[in-house]
Amino acid sequence: MHHLSLYFHFVKLRIRSQMEYRLSFIFDVCAQASISVIDFFMIALLFNRFKELAGWSLWEVGFLYGMIGICFAVAEMVGRGFDVFQRNIVRGDFDTVLIRPLGTFFQVFAHEFLLRRLGRIVQALVVFLIANSQLTVAWSLTKVGYLFISLVGGTCFFVGLFVIGATSCFWTVQSIEIINIFTNGGVFMGSYPFSIYRWWFRHFFTFIVPLACVNYFPSLFLLEKIGASGVSAIGVHLAPFAGFLFLGITVLFWRWGVLHYQSTGF
Amino acid sequence: MRSLCFAFQVYLAFAKKSFQRRMQYRVANLAGLTTNFFFLLVHIFVYTAFYAARPAPQPLSLDEIITYFVLCQVSFMLMPFWGTRSEVTSAIKDGSVALQLTKPVDFQAYWFADECGRALYYLLMRGLPTFLISLLFFKVTIPQQPTVFMAFTVSMILAVFMSNAITITIFSSGFWTLDTTGISGMSYSIITLFSGMLVPIALWPEWLAHIARWLPFEGLIDIPFSIYLGKITGIAVWIAIGKQMVWNLFFIGLGRLFLTRGFSRLVIQGG
Repeated sequence: MHHLSLYFHFVKLRIRSQMEYRLSFIFDVCAQASISVIDFFMIALLFNRFKELAGWSLWEVGFLYGMIGICFAVAEMVGRGFDVFQRNIVRGDFDTVLIRPLGTFFQVFAHEFLLRRLGRIVQALVVFLIANSQLTVAWSLTKVGYLFISLVGGTCFFVGLFVIGATSCFWTVQSIEIINIFTNGGVFMGSYPFSIYRWWFRHFFTFIVPLACVNYFPSLFLLEKIGASGVSAIGVHLAPFAGFLFLGITVLFWRWGVLHYQSTGF
Repeated sequence: MRSLCFAFQVYLAFAKKSFQRRMQYRVANLAGLTTNFFFLLVHIFVYTAFYAARPAPQPLSLDEIITYFVLCQVSFMLMPFWGTRSEVTSAIKDGSVALQLTKPVDFQAYWFADECGRALYYLLMRGLPTFLISLLFFKVTIPQQPTVFMAFTVSMILAVFMSNAITITIFSSGFWTLDTTGISGMSYSIITLFSGMLVPIALWPEWLAHIARWLPFEGLIDIPFSIYLGKITGIAVWIAIGKQMVWNLFFIGLGRLFLTRGFSRLVIQGG
């Protein structure tokens, strides 16, 4: 409970400092939104020409796109501390984290909060809502609950990726750029139905990096496409929890990484 | 003439330094190569699935699309908005531009020299390896006539030049606004859209393609690649290259204007 109130206190401070440069903030939010708007616009252009993709319509893909976009943007907003963690290591700032009477994971997590991702969240949400209005999804309490769990699971998944990237800095100092494949690349490939990928690609992004579990499988359930896809129904129901599991494992990795920390400080 | 020769040597030295600076990061380069390949692969999966749904003749065949995106991965790193940020771009914001002004060189030319070194680095270390490996795995078409290849090379060089001329123009607006993240973000979206980087312009609906033809940004990606694929031929090649040249001159002139105006009202931040 103490952690929670402390967290909100930190977030409030972060937001206040970011609102200092108001005009720059507004520009930035608009720029963020415009970048993602053209992303989806391009998908729409392709559908305009090709009409469908592996049995998925434009708005079904918009549903996928909206879900993954929301998860990623929220993860960037709250998980920013891990995203930019390498500079703490480069500057030796992590030493200060270690001497404070709080867990390292919590401190790094609560240290940053990127309000300007709001533009991205709103854009993804708008696409999701339009897609939903164009489709006839039979919403029930179960489905809404399942959607919520999937979104939180997806956010956990991306935060987990940031944690892996941050933890690797304990060894490499500079962050490993390859994690971009899974973060930005994950959003890109998650915007399309997984059935278009080759089997080895699909399996990798289901069992090792569980991207499909928080996006594609939940959409199959919500859009009632399980039957057509040939995926097991039980697997689909359990899939979103893979996001939580993934984050849990990365937290353990983080704890192990902290033990290997050697200061680079001045 | 002698002084011109000397000036050239000075800028060549800047380009060389810029190239050497990047040679330090070899592991990062390998990671970048992997990333390029990953995105290429996803693009190919997506287009293969789209083409499978509608095999009716399209303006570009699937093999041509694959070649287009291979070329995309080869060349986008050469251009500053999609590649890594170079140090020059933050010079105005962090005040290090003051240091540049003390040197007896032209700032815009210095910037170009620095970026040329960068572009050459990415061409040799990132672009060519990507192309060669792609030849092994994907059906990449290769132009049959050497003239096509020559026209492509000229067009590509103009594209890289223009990308820098545009970037200089965008960042010199920093003299007025200080924080360029907003404006560079907006222009990034417009450039990415109208260059044909995400979807080749040939696949666009007529009305939108028409807008793109009137904008300079198709000269960054779509024109050189269309020349490579033999979609622009004969006299049209000359027109396309001429268009690129005109836009180059336009942005170089505009950037120059912004820079001279900016320097005259320059207040250095930080220090």
